[in-house]
Parts: sequence; structure tokens; C-alpha cells
Amino acid sequence: MEYIFTLKYQLTDRDNEPDALVERLGAAGCDDALVGVGQPGRLALEFSREASSAKEAIHTALADVKSAIPSACLIEASPDLVGLTDVADIVGVSRQAMRKLMLAHRATFPIPVHEGSTSIWHLAEVLDWLEKRDGYQIDAGIVETARVALAVNVAKETLRHPVSGRGDMERLTA
Amino acid sequence: MSRPLHPKKEIEAALSYAEEEGWRVKIGGSHAWGRIHCPYNDNECRCGEFCIASVWSTPGNPESHARALRRVVDRCSTHQRRGETEPKN
Repeated sequence: MEYIFTLKYQLTDRDNEPDALVERLGAAGCDDALVGVGQPGRLALEFSREASSAKEAIHTALADVKSAIPSACLIEASPDLVGLTDVADIVGVSRQAMRKLMLAHRATFPIPVHEGSTSIWHLAEVLDWLEKRDGYQIDAGIVETARVALAVNVAKETLRHPVSGRGDMERLTA
Repeated sequence: MSRPLHPKKEIEAALSYAEEEGWRVKIGGSHAWGRIHCPYNDNECRCGEFCIASVWSTPGNPESHARALRRVVDRCSTHQRRGETEPKN
């Protein structure tokens, strides 16, 4: 099936000429991605990739971008880190309804990655939580894609900041 | 508005749609056929990277590429906020 996801990259100063990068991406088989070059030093690719699984789709896309632009550094795979408005759009309810649901279930709603004036969740966790409740029909492809995007983002962060004293941290925070 | 038409009819339709919504179409490239530019170039614009999106010449799946182009236009936050009002040129 077709999986839709976005990969966002930081570009180096030496390798940031949009037209040249787009041509390299085209040659590397990324013509199933919409390439966004509207921000200096950034590159975003919204893939619509045919594959047998979300994992295959996202991992081959990461490999294709890396082969075209080895110096590009992944910032984020989407859909993963989302606010309530994003979740509401995906589920097909109003933001108010989503907020009400979250506030009514503060003890069981997935914990956010960040809480503040804008709070952020992992989409896969929120969709899993919603699926366990009645009345939410959520596209299986989006759930699968969100899980893989989460795995990619967590792996990327863990590589940047290796976890030390895992046992202790589990006891102290979970 | 005299620009060359995109050879794939689905993509050409998406480009016309973008133009109706105020986006500019620029031609150029090899694998790329050109680009579309968001009409709202201000600080509040949250299209982000997709304020300028590349259009392929001969993508493997033209229908899918056309849908992606329409999504970018529809998702433009300034466009959504202004609703029916026409962009200022």
C-alpha cells in the first residue's frame, strides 16, 4: 500500500543549493516525494511511497535520501510529534473535542513528550489509546506509519544522547 | 498567464489549482519540472519548507504527486485562516 510520511533534514552550508539537491534526489529515486525547499538550510520530503510495510517504506526512503545527500542530517520523521490540533485533524474530530477527552482522562491519556503552552505527544501512543476506546475508526496505515516514525525519532535521539544508568532512570522516572 | 503546460494532465490540473489559490509556478530543472511558491511570504506562514515545493517532470506515479501538490496548497495555514479571501499580490 501507499504510505505517506515526511522526512525533514538539516543541510550543511556546503551542500544547500536547492535546485542541485532536487536533481540529485530525482536521480536517487525520490520522485515519489514532494520536496520542500522553502526554508534556508532545511529540506523536507513528503513521501507517498508504495511498500509492503511502513517500515520498508520509511527505511528505504531514509536510504535514498542518504545516498543522494550524504551530508543531510535527519531532524524528524513525521507523523510522530504532534499537538492536539494535529491529532484532531487525523482522527477527524474538533480540537475542542480532543482537548475535552484529554482533560477528562488525565490519569490514563498518554503522557506528553513536552507539556507547556503547546503540548506535544507521540502520535502512535495517542492513536493506540483512542483505538482502545469505542467510536474511533483510525486508518491502520497511519497507526503503522506513526509507530515507525516514532521508532526512527527515538533511535536518532538515543544515538545523539546515549542512555546511561538505564536501570536507575527506569526506577526514578517510570 | 502564459507558461508551458505540465505534460501530465493530473499534475497540470494540480498546478492550475495552486495558481487559482494564488501560488506562483516557476519552470526549470531536469528531473524537476519546476516549483510552486506560496503567495504568503510572511513570518506567520507555517507552510515552512513546503512554501516552495518542487514539481517533478515524470514522477513514477503522477496521480500521487498531484495529490501531494494539492495537499500542500490546502494545508497552507495562512490560506486556511483567511478562508475565502483572495491573497494580496
